[in-house]
Amino acid sequence: MLEKIRAELPELSISEVSYPERGYHLAMDAGREQILKVVGFFDKNGFYLEDLFCVDYVEYLELVYFFNNHCGLFRVKTVVRLEPDKPTAPTISDIYAIAHWYEREIHEFFGVYFENHPNLAYLFLHDGLDSYPLRKGTVKVPEEDRKLLGSGAYKESEDTFFVNLGPQHPSTHGVLRVVIKMDGEYILSAEPMLGYLHRMHEKMAENRNYAQFLPNPGRMDYLSALNFNLAYVETVEKISGIIVPERAQYIRTITCELNRISSHLLWLGAFLADLGGLTPFLYAFDDRENILDILEGVTGSRLTYSYFRFGGLFNDVDEKFADGTRAFLERMWKRLDIYDQLITKNVIFINRTKGVGILERDMVRKFGCSGPVIRGSGVPFDMRKLEPYAAYQHTDFEIPVAQNGDILDRYMIRVKEIETSLRIIGSALEKLPAGPFNAEKVPKKLKPPKGDVYHTVESPRGQLGVYLVSDGSETPHRMRWRVPSYSNLMTFPFLAQGVLIADAVAILGSLDLVIPEIDR
Amino acid sequence: MGKRSFYLETKDPIIKFAMLEKVLDLARANSLWPLQFGLACCAIEMMSTAMARFDMDRFGAGIFRSTPRQADLMIVSGTVTKKMAPLLVTLYEQMPSPKWVLAMGNCAISGGPFVYEGQYNVVEGVDLLVPVDVYVPGCPPRPEGLLEGLMKLEEKITGTRRFPTPEKRW
Repeated sequence: MLEKIRAELPELSISEVSYPERGYHLAMDAGREQILKVVGFFDKNGFYLEDLFCVDYVEYLELVYFFNNHCGLFRVKTVVRLEPDKPTAPTISDIYAIAHWYEREIHEFFGVYFENHPNLAYLFLHDGLDSYPLRKGTVKVPEEDRKLLGSGAYKESEDTFFVNLGPQHPSTHGVLRVVIKMDGEYILSAEPMLGYLHRMHEKMAENRNYAQFLPNPGRMDYLSALNFNLAYVETVEKISGIIVPERAQYIRTITCELNRISSHLLWLGAFLADLGGLTPFLYAFDDRENILDILEGVTGSRLTYSYFRFGGLFNDVDEKFADGTRAFLERMWKRLDIYDQLITKNVIFINRTKGVGILERDMVRKFGCSGPVIRGSGVPFDMRKLEPYAAYQHTDFEIPVAQNGDILDRYMIRVKEIETSLRIIGSALEKLPAGPFNAEKVPKKLKPPKGDVYHTVESPRGQLGVYLVSDGSETPHRMRWRVPSYSNLMTFPFLAQGVLIADAVAILGSLDLVIPEIDR
Repeated sequence: MGKRSFYLETKDPIIKFAMLEKVLDLARANSLWPLQFGLACCAIEMMSTAMARFDMDRFGAGIFRSTPRQADLMIVSGTVTKKMAPLLVTLYEQMPSPKWVLAMGNCAISGGPFVYEGQYNVVEGVDLLVPVDVYVPGCPPRPEGLLEGLMKLEEKITGTRRFPTPEKRW
C-alpha cells in the first residue's frame, strides 16, 4: 500500500510512524490544494473516512483526516494546515457523505469555512453564543455566521407538511430531534437536529487534568460506560507508556463484555417497544438487573462506571464476582431461547423488519458506519478482532456477519453478539490469571510526553476512537472523540426517504443511538 | 445561584372546599402520572425504576404518558442544556395543573459535573426554569432514591407520609 501511495502521490511528504506507540501507520502532510486529490485517491482504493476534525495550535489550525481500511488495518493520518484568521478549506462532502456533518461540526466549533459545502448551518450549538468554543483564544463569531445559529427553520410548500420527531419523543431514545418532511403518509426527507444534550466533554478535557476527566467518558455513553472508560484509559496509557498487568487486562475484558450485554439488552427492549411490543422490555430489564448486580459489586455503581484507572483497576475482583458471573452465564444461555421464541420467531416482528431500511455495502463505507450496523451489511469489521486491545487476542471468538443489511439483520447481529460476549466472558474467566491488578509507580498527576496518539475500541454501537494531543503539561491539549452513533445516525436521512413514519421509527431504533454520545 | 425567575406560577383557587381538597389530594398523590421524558443518564435509571424489580406501579406512578397534557409529574432526568431549556419550559406549560416537578440527579439540580468556569451550554439547575418540588441527588440516583423522592412528593401533597421514615443506619 505504501508504495502505491508513494507512486500516486509523489509530491506529499509521507512519514512512517511506529504503530504500537501512536496508533496509526502513516502520517501525511497535504496542502490545501492537494487534499482533494489525496481524498480521491483513498476513496478509489476502498478506504473509509474514519475521522475528520480540527486541532488549534494557536499559530495555525490543523485539519486532521484519518483514513482506514475495512479489510486490513491501515490507518493514515493526513493533515492540512490552515491560517488562524479566516481559515478556509475545500469540502470533501461530495466524496465522503459523512464529511458533511464533520465539516459542519468543525465550522461551528472552530470557524473553519468549507468552500462549496451545501449547507453550513449549525448542528450543535444554541443561539446566543458569541465565540467559537474549541478555539484556544477568544475568537468572535462574525455577524453573518451568527445568522446560521439556530437555523433549524423550515419552509412548507403546498403539498407537504412537517412533523417534528422529538426532542421529547418516546422512540428517539433521548433528546434527538428529527424534522421530517411528509408527503401524505410517506417521508420525503428527514433531517436530524443535534445538540440538545451537548455537554462540552471535549472542552472539559482541555480544562482539567487526566485523572479529573475519568468520570466523563462514562457519562458520554451511559449504556456502555465501561467501554468508553476503557478507551480513555488505554489512550492515556498508550501515550504515557504504562504497561498494564495481565490480570487487569482480563478483568477489563470481562467487565466490558458484561457491559456490552447489558447495553444490547436495553437496546432489545427499547427497540421492540418502538415496534409496539412491550413484553420484551420487561424481560430484558430483568436480565439487565442481574448484570448490574454483578458490576455493582466490583465497581460500586449501577450505571456510570469509572472503574478503570491508569495502569489497572480501581479494585480487584473476588470469588463472589466470578461465581456471580458464572451463574449469570448459565442463566443467560437459557434466556436466549426464550428471546428466540418471543421475538425471532414472531411473525409480526419479521414482517415489520424484513427488507426494511436496507443499507448497501458501499453505502456503509461512504458513511463510515461501524458496529452491528456495518456487520449487518456483510462487512466483518470489528475492532476486537482487527486491532485487539485488553485481552481480546487471548480469547477465542467469531464475529457474526449478516448479508442483507436490513433491520432484521441488525437485530440478529446484536442477538448473536450477546452469545459471542457470553463465550468471551466464559473463556476469559477460565483463563483469569493471578497477580497484581495495578501497574506500579503510576504518578498521581500524569504528564505524558509531547505528541499525539490514536486509539480505538469496539463499543456496543461500533468503533470508538480517541485522538489525544499532549503538550507535555498536566492537561490534554486536545481530545477528540470519534463516536459510533454519530456516523450511524448520518445514514438515517437516506434510509428514511420514501418510507412510512412507522418504518422510520423502526429504522431509527435499529441504529441503536445514544444521544449524549452523538452530542458529546 | 443567581436570581430565580419562574415563567408560570400556580394561583390558589378562589373557592376552596377543604374536605374535598383533602380527598382529591389523596387521589392525586396515589396516581401521579409522570411525563415520559428522558434527558440523559438518569433516564435509564428512571426506566429501571419503572421496570419489574423496583416497580414504580406499586405507588401508582408507573403510567408514563408520552404527552404532557396527560401528565402531572415531570421527572427532569438529566442535564438541561441551553438549547433544550425553552422546550422544557414549553412542556411544563403544557401540563395541566396541579403539576409537580422532580429534579432527578445532580445535573438537574445544579448542573452537576458539567459546571466549570466558562462553560457555555449547560443550565445550572432546572429550578432556574421551572419551580421544583423535590430534589433527588445522585449521579445518577439509585432507583430507591427516586422512589424515596416520590414518597417525599406524596408527603408534600397529602401532608402525611405513606410509610414511616426508614431507620437511619449511618
